[in-house]
Amino acid sequence: MTVESLPDFLFSAMGRILPFGFAEPLFMKRAILAMLFIAPAAAAVGVPLVHFRMAFFSDAIGHSAFTGVAIGVLLGVHPLLTMVAFGLFVAWAITRVKGRTELSPDTVIGVFFSTVIALGVAIISAQKGLTRNLQAYLYGDLLAVSGTELLWMGALLIAVGVYLFFTFNKIMLLGVHEGFARSMGVPVHALEVSFALVVALVVTTAIRAVGILLVTALLVVPAAAARNVARGAVSAFWVAIAIAVISGLSGIAASYYLDTATGATVVLFAAALFAVTAMLKGMFRR
Amino acid sequence: MTVTTHHHTLEIRNLSVRAGGMEILSGIHADIRCGEVTALVGPNGAGKTTLLLAILGLVPCTGEIRFCRAAEHGKGAPRIGYVPQRLDFDRNAPMTVLDFLALSSQRYPVVFGHSARSKRSARETLARVGVDHLVSRPLGKLSGGELQRILLALALRDDPDILLLDEPVSGVDLSGEGLFCEFLGQIHSESRFSLLLVSHDLSVVSRHADRVICLNRRIICQGATTEMLTPENLEAMYGSGAHLVSHGPADGRGHLHPPPAAGGDGNKRD
Repeated sequence: MTVESLPDFLFSAMGRILPFGFAEPLFMKRAILAMLFIAPAAAAVGVPLVHFRMAFFSDAIGHSAFTGVAIGVLLGVHPLLTMVAFGLFVAWAITRVKGRTELSPDTVIGVFFSTVIALGVAIISAQKGLTRNLQAYLYGDLLAVSGTELLWMGALLIAVGVYLFFTFNKIMLLGVHEGFARSMGVPVHALEVSFALVVALVVTTAIRAVGILLVTALLVVPAAAARNVARGAVSAFWVAIAIAVISGLSGIAASYYLDTATGATVVLFAAALFAVTAMLKGMFRR
Repeated sequence: MTVTTHHHTLEIRNLSVRAGGMEILSGIHADIRCGEVTALVGPNGAGKTTLLLAILGLVPCTGEIRFCRAAEHGKGAPRIGYVPQRLDFDRNAPMTVLDFLALSSQRYPVVFGHSARSKRSARETLARVGVDHLVSRPLGKLSGGELQRILLALALRDDPDILLLDEPVSGVDLSGEGLFCEFLGQIHSESRFSLLLVSHDLSVVSRHADRVICLNRRIICQGATTEMLTPENLEAMYGSGAHLVSHGPADGRGHLHPPPAAGGDGNKRD
């Protein structure tokens, strides 16, 4: 079996596992597969992200994609490439500046956030006709995912899995107390930079699915919902993954029948599950 | 408590730390010797925590921090144990005490469960500080004293050369404080490490420390505890009018009361 035939193999397997009307067309099979790659990767990174209180950081990276795409169109390079590259650059820059200033992290991120958006708006306003190109990135376009993109998303899921396998414990220790983590042998700076870059990779890839405006939700909402019901680290992680996959699949199915934007529908399902877990939490507390 | 042969020494030479255009620490010279309890005292904002972070390598600094040890007492970088003043983590984080201990004792992610080895190690670590009943409690629900005991046990688990304790009695009530200090003295007499202790509580310092470093952005004085805690030195550090007062039962437990004028500003700065 070659790499190129891998999606076809997965599609035929999917036809048997999901014998529903919405999963019939090829573009839907692709969308489902893309979601099965992206949702768990985003949720897995989201667990330490929420632990670190980095939701705003991921939002800033998401919005940097706007400028990344504009730069790509301006230079005549594929916007996906410049989007990922620019996202990585902004993540690196924020982490560096954060470590060298007395300003609080959200102030640093706020400065980068607005600078990056301003740059994007400036480029777009100078280049007439660019606006149409941006639609797919603002709202996501899961139904138009190509075979190459699918492979990239699959590779990303594996890469995130490998990265977290080796760093998850250290990242969680770092989230408890930086100095304490350091005394326990955690390479603080290397971990901060690498985690920021991994978040940037996941965010810029997930934009394909849910768009710039909603990408943070894909990372934060499952982890936040899991916190409502989990007591320990084991359940917090796996409940987040389950919520991400369930809302991803039900969102795709619902958007097919309701003719709504896929990304938004997925996020609405995740938000509904958050509400359910919040109510469960209230019930257990009483 | 003093041990005459020093297996190792942490030598701090001309250490300065600048942040935001301000000199937080300047020209620090100090030796922290094995087998001794060195207390670091000074007012809020004196740079005590910053000095600990510099030793941990977490703040950029100029000058030198050298670790000297004779070849027969082991090789390589020193193991530094650190108990922070308080943890600034999210109290709602889904993490049990066992999860927290396993983070540093097992290689694979705790989300795949806990290895038998890390469970055993967690029980031993907690038993050492008498809190083994807390193993499955959420970390965020522990009291300040319980959390500090666990952090101390973790810091001691890997047999450190140097133990840094930042305000070990803050957030602990007075009865817990006595227990904590007693426990510390016991541990310290059993092991051979140097202890650097940041404390506001001069009664703790006078009872437990062999040496004192008085710090207020620079070193005011350093030397044997009995010689250092004089009214003159206290005045140089905290301003005029500072004096030791005792409160509670008359057991010599004294706390420093800064002069009223100097005590009002920036109590949370350090």
